[in-house]
Amino acid sequence: MATPGQLMFARRLGPTARLFIWLLVGVSCVVADSHYHALDGLRSGFSLLLRPMRVAMRAPGDVASELGGFLVRHRQLQRERDALLVERARLAVSANAARELARENTELRALLQLQNRPGQQIVHAALLYKGHDWFAQRITLDEGAGAGLRSGLPVVDASGLVGQVSRVYPKASDVMLVSSPQQLTPVFVERTGQRGLAAGSGQGQMELRYMPAQTDIRPGDRLLTSGIDRVYPAGIPVANVTRVSRSQSSPYLRVECLPLVGLDRSRAVLVLVSEPQITRPQEPRP
Amino acid sequence: MNTATQPAGSWRRILGTLVLAVLLEQLPWSGWMLAIRPDFVLVGLLFWTLHQPARMGFGIAFFLGLVADFQDGAVFGQHAMAYVVGAYLVLYLRLRLLQFEPLRQAMQLFPVLLSVQLVVLLIGWLAVNPPAGLAMLLPVLSSTVLWYGIAGFLRVLHGKGMQDRA
Repeated sequence: MATPGQLMFARRLGPTARLFIWLLVGVSCVVADSHYHALDGLRSGFSLLLRPMRVAMRAPGDVASELGGFLVRHRQLQRERDALLVERARLAVSANAARELARENTELRALLQLQNRPGQQIVHAALLYKGHDWFAQRITLDEGAGAGLRSGLPVVDASGLVGQVSRVYPKASDVMLVSSPQQLTPVFVERTGQRGLAAGSGQGQMELRYMPAQTDIRPGDRLLTSGIDRVYPAGIPVANVTRVSRSQSSPYLRVECLPLVGLDRSRAVLVLVSEPQITRPQEPRP
Repeated sequence: MNTATQPAGSWRRILGTLVLAVLLEQLPWSGWMLAIRPDFVLVGLLFWTLHQPARMGFGIAFFLGLVADFQDGAVFGQHAMAYVVGAYLVLYLRLRLLQFEPLRQAMQLFPVLLSVQLVVLLIGWLAVNPPAGLAMLLPVLSSTVLWYGIAGFLRVLHGKGMQDRA
């Protein structure tokens, strides 16, 4: 305890008593937040308060990259433009093919009287902030409820699945990464079609759980979302298998994977907003 | 540097440094820079608890901890409790800490910063899930270095007068 005459905080209570009071307040905060989600309003408040600061502190970096972009050599720009034109032509051809397939698919589905799949709408968002990844891996985006985001929506970038929106604030949102511990993603192996469950294992890694020992899987296999959870659309690349090992004690294989998205590289991501699916009873046809 | 003669200036300085610390944490840190980022807010809080204990309190420590919780997307109360413990430890060791020159002061502060981080670790472990690795102890080292930098800078700026500022 502080010696008499050094009780700088104390009016009535000593520092130790005050410490315990604040620790009690802290424990009740933890319980209220983790078990009852009672402090979401406070979170939104902090989000609104800190957002201008985050945007302001990003500005120098943005200006620097603008200036860097301005000083790019003309020749390099031309080369990039040529490459992009070629890429666009290639994509246009495959887009035509895809449109044709989609039309055919709708007709076939109508013929089979299957329900139509929900449409997808894309919201662009920039990566605003990355927090410490000690317990869960999260990033903060600069779009929120105002852009129609909801908790649970999938987030992708050009190379694959990034994660799932976990918290939504008015003008920002938190994304739980696929590599976050306890984040489960239903996947299938692209080469064999074998379904499985990929879970984050922390430190930017993932593992494929509950694969029986005789499963045909090897390093280099690509995992895509299977879509059976109705959260992620099917066929989004998730991870590459890096190591497969057999353990003596467990009947399952130990399959380690590396997510495809590079969070240190990508600055902008896409959020897939699906239209809410209306399940109405089928009308009896005459 | 006598605080009794310029209370308003001192308030402004405390508020200014704490806001600066919060702003520094808003920078888009990533990769290994993020891993070794010192805890600016904690260092600022402990610094002012050491030098201006009458103006700082557990309430301010708790609030700054809530900001840090939001910052890392952690459960509310995790850093708040840890910061309160840190402020308490600094108060407890205050007379001892004030005797030392910057380097030894930073060395003495290392266990305090370490115990703050261990409280964060413990609460996270109990409330959320096991942490991924011990990389979370890296900021303790960088915070100690930051403390040494600040204390050394102030020593150069004000001569040897830091001891009698309290």
